[in-house]
Amino acid sequence: MVRLKSRYLLCGVCVSDRRNLSLLDDRAIYTATKAAVARAHGDYGAALSSLGFSVKYLNAHTGIVFLRCRKSHYRLIWSALPFITSLENRGQRVPCFLNCLHVGGTIRTCQKFLVRYNTQQLHRMLPLCQSEAERSEIRKSVLSCTLKKEADDEEEDE
Amino acid sequence: MAVFMDLNITYTTDKKRLRSVIETAAHLGYSTVAINYVVDLQQKKQVSSSVFPGKSRPIKVLNRLTVVASDPSHFRPNAEYKAYDLVAVYPTTEKLFHAACMTFDVDIICVAVIEKQPFFFKRSPINGAIERGVFFEISYTPAIRDSTMRRYTIANAISLMETCKGKNVIVTSGAEKPLELRGPYDIANLGLLFGLSEGDGKAAISTNCRAVHLHGETRKTALGIVHTMKKDQPLTERQEEEHAPVSKRAKIETV
Repeated sequence: MVRLKSRYLLCGVCVSDRRNLSLLDDRAIYTATKAAVARAHGDYGAALSSLGFSVKYLNAHTGIVFLRCRKSHYRLIWSALPFITSLENRGQRVPCFLNCLHVGGTIRTCQKFLVRYNTQQLHRMLPLCQSEAERSEIRKSVLSCTLKKEADDEEEDE
Repeated sequence: MAVFMDLNITYTTDKKRLRSVIETAAHLGYSTVAINYVVDLQQKKQVSSSVFPGKSRPIKVLNRLTVVASDPSHFRPNAEYKAYDLVAVYPTTEKLFHAACMTFDVDIICVAVIEKQPFFFKRSPINGAIERGVFFEISYTPAIRDSTMRRYTIANAISLMETCKGKNVIVTSGAEKPLELRGPYDIANLGLLFGLSEGDGKAAISTNCRAVHLHGETRKTALGIVHTMKKDQPLTERQEEEHAPVSKRAKIETV
């Protein structure tokens, strides 16, 4: 059976300044990635990345991005990701880098990984909490992280 | 594959920036980093005040010394080297490269990434270094900063891989700012660009780095068997961590 297989790269966008995160949108990431692939791999890379490449999901609060590409050359696109140094959005440059967390074959597997990853992050944030109210909120979110929820709960309180 | 190490964080005098780099590394999943103090030829050696940011996540911080050498005589003061966990040399001539591979007491040999390699790699010194357990280091941050450096990095890396067949290679950052670090899986993938196979790429940031760490530790011991610790000084954190160094042979602690 012929089936078009794809790979989903789960990346986190890391910025030095958290407030800049909310300025992200998927067009910016799309153009930045295409430009990086074109710079790193030339015309061949630019051509390959135009096939079936898209940004499927972007969470501006946590900086999680799903990139989708073809299975035959996801490595090429992945190898150009470290060369992204900034994202351009409406004339503002945000210096950042993309950190690839997981590669999955379907969105569902990536989501499962994301739920586990977020619970780990919440566990890490627990000792850093300042007040008891925040702590109980985090505990509640940890217990309620499931796949059914539409957006993974997270408390970004630092 | 759980243990990732980044063995090259450039030392800056700005402690806050150093601390933020180390925190970013911890956030990305590295378990150990090494702060690199570069010593150049005629310059006086820097004060090795190791900065230990408060361990918010359990990340281990090592010290590393890199000697930029263009003359064999530059490399011999031995007593100071014991203060560092890792010693690296950056040879600039062919004769020095040969000497460093065969005889110098180093853990890491840095491969040039910001300029065209002035000499070619020959198989015999590289095989000698592999037998002795010396590793070759490729740093990737210049490749991120600038496009010409990227070409030099890839060219030098590939010529190294042709001669050493991917053995004994580590890939490290040379990060000065926290935004120049990259995650471990990304770097394992960068290894593909450098000519490493997939398994070699993953080894370059995990098992090979661990081997370098052990190599550095055994340099302090006598033949890897006896490990001495000064007890009259107040124990710095570094010595506390060395309380149980992992060594392949049984060790006897003598005070």
